[in-house]
Amino acid sequence: MLNKIYDWVDERLDITPIWRDIADHEVPEHVNPAHHFSAFIYCFGGLTFFVTVIQILSGMFLTMYYTPDIENAWKSVYYLQNEVAFGEIVRGMHHWGASLVIVMMFLHTLRVFFTGSYKKPRELNWIVGVLIFVTMLGLGFTGYLLPWDMKALFATKVGIEIAGSVPFIGDQIKILLAGDDVILGAQTLTRFFAIHVFFLPAALLGLLAAHFIMIRRQGISGPL
Amino acid sequence: MSSKVSRRQFLSYTLMGTGGFMASAMLMPMVRFAIDPVLQPSADGELIPTSQKADALTEEPVKVDFVIKDRKDAWYVSDVADSAWVYKQGDEIIALHPTCKHLGCTVNWEGDDKNPNRFFCPCHDGLYEKNGQNVAGTPPLGPLDQYEVEVVDGFVYLGKVVENQLV
Amino acid sequence: MQRGKGMKFVGDSRIKAEGRMVNMPKDYSEYPGKTEAFWPNFLLKEWMVGAVFLIGYLILTVAHPSPLERQADPTDTAYIPVPDWYFLFMYQLLKYEFASGPWNVVGAIIMPGLAIGALMLVPFMDTTKERRPSKRPLPTAFMLLAFASIFYLTWESVVNHDWEAAARQGAIVEEVEFDENSEGYQIYAGASCIGCHGDSFQGGLGDPLVNNGLTVDEIKDIVINGRGDMSPGLFDGSDEELEVLAEFIESLNQ
Repeated sequence: MLNKIYDWVDERLDITPIWRDIADHEVPEHVNPAHHFSAFIYCFGGLTFFVTVIQILSGMFLTMYYTPDIENAWKSVYYLQNEVAFGEIVRGMHHWGASLVIVMMFLHTLRVFFTGSYKKPRELNWIVGVLIFVTMLGLGFTGYLLPWDMKALFATKVGIEIAGSVPFIGDQIKILLAGDDVILGAQTLTRFFAIHVFFLPAALLGLLAAHFIMIRRQGISGPL
Repeated sequence: MSSKVSRRQFLSYTLMGTGGFMASAMLMPMVRFAIDPVLQPSADGELIPTSQKADALTEEPVKVDFVIKDRKDAWYVSDVADSAWVYKQGDEIIALHPTCKHLGCTVNWEGDDKNPNRFFCPCHDGLYEKNGQNVAGTPPLGPLDQYEVEVVDGFVYLGKVVENQLV
Repeated sequence: MQRGKGMKFVGDSRIKAEGRMVNMPKDYSEYPGKTEAFWPNFLLKEWMVGAVFLIGYLILTVAHPSPLERQADPTDTAYIPVPDWYFLFMYQLLKYEFASGPWNVVGAIIMPGLAIGALMLVPFMDTTKERRPSKRPLPTAFMLLAFASIFYLTWESVVNHDWEAAARQGAIVEEVEFDENSEGYQIYAGASCIGCHGDSFQGGLGDPLVNNGLTVDEIKDIVINGRGDMSPGLFDGSDEELEVLAEFIESLNQ
């Protein structure tokens, strides 16, 4: 039955090569921890992606309860964490996942750096990787404000001041981020929410796609 | 087909198992989190006081407005205004919920001049008899809901909304 | 080469045979040793690692509920902000003289900018064919140096931060109802108490005063003699005022 459906679609869309691209390739010995335990360092990238998937899923579910509004943001977070079943776990997954993704990405970057995997022909993929790193830091920074608790507000204040110290266009950047030149409040929260939930994830998905397509095009770098 | 499982098949099954474990461990808390409102027990109706004196009621339905104090809507607590159509039938006090059973508009007693002694819904011309029975041939699918009623110190108190008991 | 369902491919399957340029990527069979199919063999191993990782992740989540401090109060200027841990090194960097004050732009923009820029341009600066870290000492040394300084800065900021005070400042405090016009509150606001304990007793530099379970006499004693970080003799009102104040504070217990 499943085979028939597959054939029906394949006949029209020629999906077999797509499937091949994704899954049907060989994995060399030097990245396989089953052969060399030290090859576990090649798992960090995959784990980063895994945590990213969890972040996207848990984030989608959290927005079912979260309200990006200074009156209600904190109350809705308090509610979803303390009143909703498994709220503590789902918020916990998103909170700890944010840290884990940074840790895993950091380890992945170090692995790529110390194995010299960024060298020709993989320069472009390294640059995309650094952009992913920056995007992730941006997600961490914008997400920190959303619960609208004390540390969120005051850490963001500092962060926005840092953005404001850019020469020449600092003030403009600051207003763009905060939505107002002095107040850090209602408009800041909605802006950070939009950036955290729509803009940066969209950028991240694009960058991840580019990252993976390039890996499949170029293959994994050879053994040292 | 041979009953032997090939190495590749075995690997595929194990892979599906591991994938299934990861997916369920990840999604189980999230799904439970999402469907939490569905599993909440419905709030047991507290009696809400109204300003309507029980003695003043007649056979003619009157609209009684009342306010639910401090209604908890998750993290949002507010006073919510609601209303009921209340009349006397013999000694019994009847309070009908004014929400049309068609698509949720609000019905009015004798809201249409052509239909005296009936509740009328202006959205799609739905009609109900005085006891809440929907008039056949109009859009509503069932009779109007009813409030549980109690009289405390001469005033009408409304309880939770139940299905129409009069029809 | 016929591998697909009715499709002809050249070598690596992604290139179709008909009239396409052969731009095959490297074939893994170039590498010596035991290669293995990605699906399902290798993916199974990866997912097993993933499953173990997920279990650890969930245990962490259950063991340490994510923190939530009290609702943001922009007027509470006593609060010492601290960023998430992965920004701590930048937070610490901005405390140093060469990266603050007139040189703020150095710590806030130039140094992080240079770091990110350099990281991005690594492939164009390190262009040798060598891949072993030991064969390219400069990149290796720079990365180790960067890692060490980030580690050091993070460490410094952690040991220099008063985490207990921060936890106290951020704790969710039940709000109490009180009369701002009462005599007790007037004395409280007129004396220096309000500076540390907050305008609604939520605490700040000092402890919250709500529900602390102290009796009138204990409160009087603390007001006069101090406790912990609170030095003695901060209150300079009369004994009658002290009595009213202590009774007022005691009334905040519920």
